[in-house]
Amino acid sequence: MAELMTQAEFRAALENAIKGRSANTSPFSVAWAEGKLSREHLARWAENHFHYVGPFADYLAYVYARMPDRYTEAKDFLLANMYEEEIGGDRHTDLLIRFAEACGTTRERVTDPDNMSPTTRGLQSWCYAVAMREDPIVAVAALVVGLESQVPSIYRRQTPTLRKIYGFTDEEVEFFDLHIVSDEIHGERGYQIVLEHANTPELQARCLKICEIGAQMRLLYTTALYNDYVAGTAPGLSVAA
Amino acid sequence: MPNVTFHKNGHTLQGEVKPETNLVVRAGIRQFPHPLLTFGCGMGKCAKCACRVLSGAEHLPAPNWKEVKLLGSRLDDGFRLCCQLWLTHDIELAQDDIARSAPVEARPECM
Repeated sequence: MAELMTQAEFRAALENAIKGRSANTSPFSVAWAEGKLSREHLARWAENHFHYVGPFADYLAYVYARMPDRYTEAKDFLLANMYEEEIGGDRHTDLLIRFAEACGTTRERVTDPDNMSPTTRGLQSWCYAVAMREDPIVAVAALVVGLESQVPSIYRRQTPTLRKIYGFTDEEVEFFDLHIVSDEIHGERGYQIVLEHANTPELQARCLKICEIGAQMRLLYTTALYNDYVAGTAPGLSVAA
Repeated sequence: MPNVTFHKNGHTLQGEVKPETNLVVRAGIRQFPHPLLTFGCGMGKCAKCACRVLSGAEHLPAPNWKEVKLLGSRLDDGFRLCCQLWLTHDIELAQDDIARSAPVEARPECM
């Protein structure tokens, strides 16, 4: 039977579970970082990304409702995270739409769920399923550690390229700037919650597994963006480069 | 490793941080300079994390567009937004209620 890992061992194991499956390695992220995408490709990314991150507060709300009362700090973290996504400053999805409009698409197209790819729909559905059905600590491991904590490293690579190569203004890329700070806080607080409350070998194992799956899901989603819109392998979804 | 000295309402905290550290991120995860550093949105919109740089300003990058927009003439008094700074060198900062509550006066050219 597996033994309970120390918090340091568990932290290293969680990081390893994500490593190698980072969305940074997807062909879409690589092409983005190398300046090889068109604004049209980025518009398609925004139209999909909205449906993954747009309901993030909804995902967290399900987790919040099922988080035990005694985990006050964890509940407060989830509530603060939801608040920051929606009404703490600028609504994060409004900043995403601002970027999308700079890429040539419209608010109507971005918010229309018919414009997300089947893979994006799969990622969104997985996030809802995890939030509604998993142990709340396992759900935090999936959504915050497995997904949200990856964001700063992804955007740190992509944001300078958006300014220097693609020629976007500071205001147009604000969506990316803000996530470098806010998601670094959220990701680390997520780690703290999981490290503290995953206090049985079984719970630790479930957190590790779902982090792997979460990282796989994000990698799958980002890779599909390349296949669907850049390589054009999905009928009816591709756009000219 | 950058050494940070932080003054707030008569209290002083000192700590060493990793290069490229953002103090709002640190405070957000409840590490030094938590709980003294006051911050808000973490996105350069509220200016609650504004601090006066007492020393080490020469190692900071020029203020970005958000700092220019939010701090206005307070930039000339040495104020910066901590949420917009990634530290690479030693720095001494002061944050007090007066600094935080001072009115935002955006420069005319940034309006």
